[in-house]
Amino acid sequence: MTQSNSQPTTNRFTFRTFVLLLVPVILLAGVIALFLTTGGGLDLESPAPVENLDVERYHLEYNSVELYVRNTGPDELTIATVIINDSVMPFKVDPSPTIPRLGRATIQVNYSWSYAEAYGIKIMTTNAVAFETDIPVAFETPEPSSATFWGFTLIGLYVGVIPVFLGIFWFPALRQMGRRTMTFLMAATAGLLVFLGLDTLAEALEFAAEVPSSFQGIGLIGIGAVATFLLLEAISNSQVNASGDESQRRLSVAFIIAVGIGFHNLGEGLAIGAAYNVGEVALGTFLVVGFIIQNITEGLGIIAPVLRDRPTIGRLAIMGLIGGGPAIIGAWIGGFTPSPFLAVLFLAIGAGAIFQVIYEIAKLIQKDTAREAMPMTVFSGVLTGMMLLWVTGLLIK
Amino acid sequence: MNNKISRRDFLKVGGLAAMLGTTGVVAFDQTKGKGPTQTSDHSLHAQDDNPPKQHMMQQGDHGDLPGTVGEVDHEANGFNPTDVLTDFDYGTVSTLPNGQTLREYEVVAINKEIEVLPGLVFPAWTYNGRIPGPTFRATEGDRIRIHFTNGSEHPHTMHFHGFHPAEMDGVPGTGPGGLVEPGASFTYEFDADPFGLHLYHCHVFPLARHIAKGLYGTFIVDPKGGRPKMDHEMVMVQHGLDVDFDDANDFYAVNGIPFHYQNHPIQFRVGETVRIYLVNILEFDLLNSFHLHASFFHYYPTGTSLTPAEFTDTIIQGQAQRGILEFSYKHPGMYMFHAHVTEFAELGWMGMFEVLP
Repeated sequence: MTQSNSQPTTNRFTFRTFVLLLVPVILLAGVIALFLTTGGGLDLESPAPVENLDVERYHLEYNSVELYVRNTGPDELTIATVIINDSVMPFKVDPSPTIPRLGRATIQVNYSWSYAEAYGIKIMTTNAVAFETDIPVAFETPEPSSATFWGFTLIGLYVGVIPVFLGIFWFPALRQMGRRTMTFLMAATAGLLVFLGLDTLAEALEFAAEVPSSFQGIGLIGIGAVATFLLLEAISNSQVNASGDESQRRLSVAFIIAVGIGFHNLGEGLAIGAAYNVGEVALGTFLVVGFIIQNITEGLGIIAPVLRDRPTIGRLAIMGLIGGGPAIIGAWIGGFTPSPFLAVLFLAIGAGAIFQVIYEIAKLIQKDTAREAMPMTVFSGVLTGMMLLWVTGLLIK
Repeated sequence: MNNKISRRDFLKVGGLAAMLGTTGVVAFDQTKGKGPTQTSDHSLHAQDDNPPKQHMMQQGDHGDLPGTVGEVDHEANGFNPTDVLTDFDYGTVSTLPNGQTLREYEVVAINKEIEVLPGLVFPAWTYNGRIPGPTFRATEGDRIRIHFTNGSEHPHTMHFHGFHPAEMDGVPGTGPGGLVEPGASFTYEFDADPFGLHLYHCHVFPLARHIAKGLYGTFIVDPKGGRPKMDHEMVMVQHGLDVDFDDANDFYAVNGIPFHYQNHPIQFRVGETVRIYLVNILEFDLLNSFHLHASFFHYYPTGTSLTPAEFTDTIIQGQAQRGILEFSYKHPGMYMFHAHVTEFAELGWMGMFEVLP
């Protein structure tokens, strides 16, 4: 229904239009009804039941194994037996052993598991379809107590907040640099973000593989990334239209960088919390140190666009919190209710935000290079940014 | 962790070190690199070598024991393992003109859904709708005549262990009895010989599948004059259940239903003599075994001698091996019997004798 005045007909929404709109819908309903009643001439009777059950997470406590499962198959299914390490175990299912499509249930088994040992769990449905999952290393699942809550908070602090703020502390020193150096730093930030964006996308893909197929993990990445990119693009354009002030624009770019890095850190927090829950833990304090070194660059990236301006300390602090704080939230979510679905969504949002920010920075750099030709500055800057993350990654591993 | 190291792995590791090192949830011995040392109290129980008393007290009806909750529908299944123990089928008896005893049996092969665990249905192939098939029992020298009809959708046969002519062997290539097509019939006829404990099963290829689906049973040939009288005689057919058809057993059982005799102990009294006809038809796994708790048994391999070969509490049987066990109990109480391949035990091949005073 266009509003064009060149059309000779009126564009009023009449009853006739309504009926015309409905015709295909009614026909569609008829076709579906026909198909459902006759099978459409196709023999769709499956010789074996198609069932799918996802074990989303498990919870271990003394003498007890709890499995959180979701029916991702086309029909409802009923759990018939649970076998742990080749032993048929009595079990309880809450709310019911019969799980509707996309429904969830909790299976509880009294099982005297041993610390640090591995367990293979097989769940069988009444149609004798088996679903298997592993507990690679058994240990008591952290409860959402104040101690673990504080623990995950500290993880987030180390992972996100502290490195980002450390990077921001470069602000006074970097302010002294010349225009060319600042452009170089902007380019380096773009390089950092390209690296982080690819990394975020790769992680989103990794999590997407764990998402039940009915939730279409890859499609979710597309939705999250594209929607975020376009939304941020719209926001930044409307801000430009509103103020037109270039320093305001640089500030908003800095904020968007902070948001992008924030989502990236949220994803990291999720991954860390989830990893802790499944016992994927190999430790060394030097790794924490390496971690801080690598992520200090994130803070640097946030401040790069506003180096020539004079943002208040309050604004810098807010940007630091936006960039680093989500790591804490991510660690909480990942640690207490790990969900690959949420992880994919957050990582996709992060990737979309990061790529939009790269685009914004590119525009700022273009303005700088339009005033003064700096042929190698951009190239070396972007490469430096990417190499910085790559090399610090090498050192740590 | 696998070989693929991503930035996230690094983050996990670094982040965890940060968390663990600062919260004291778990303290790490970094100098020795031996991994975590428990300091929290919520993980202590599971790690303890000597489980606290609480552990035992937590056990309810089943507690931490492997097993099933609930009951399969024996009526719908058409058989109850408790009855299978003693339902010896002597056939329709008559006397041939030459004076020989004739035992006639009707057997139909049918496909049947059997509930092997509560709620879990196994699409079985059966003789007379049950696993194991009927226990044929005759005396040495009797004439056996088995009218076999194939009421299923696949060709099947009945292959007996014992002496018989080639055309009665029930193996493809030996004539009409070697492959009985769906809807067709064949009468297997031979003399019960030699005395002992034997078995029968389908011999159509693929053989492993035809056996694993449930086409087997016991064939007992008593010696002339019989074996010494016992207070109780029972048949136990050891087998597996490959319910998802991946050529590996998911469950193990005697007489059809895993854990049946754990849920329904077999009762007799102190001092009463018990004879078990024990057959192993387990497919896919190499060995099966029988272990008796708190008593010993005399063992007669294949039942072909009246002199026991061994006095023991554990024997091993490969597929189609069988033997007769004779024992009694000195003390009342609940006694377990199970495969001493303990994996099989925990997957269903486990039962209880309840010895009454």
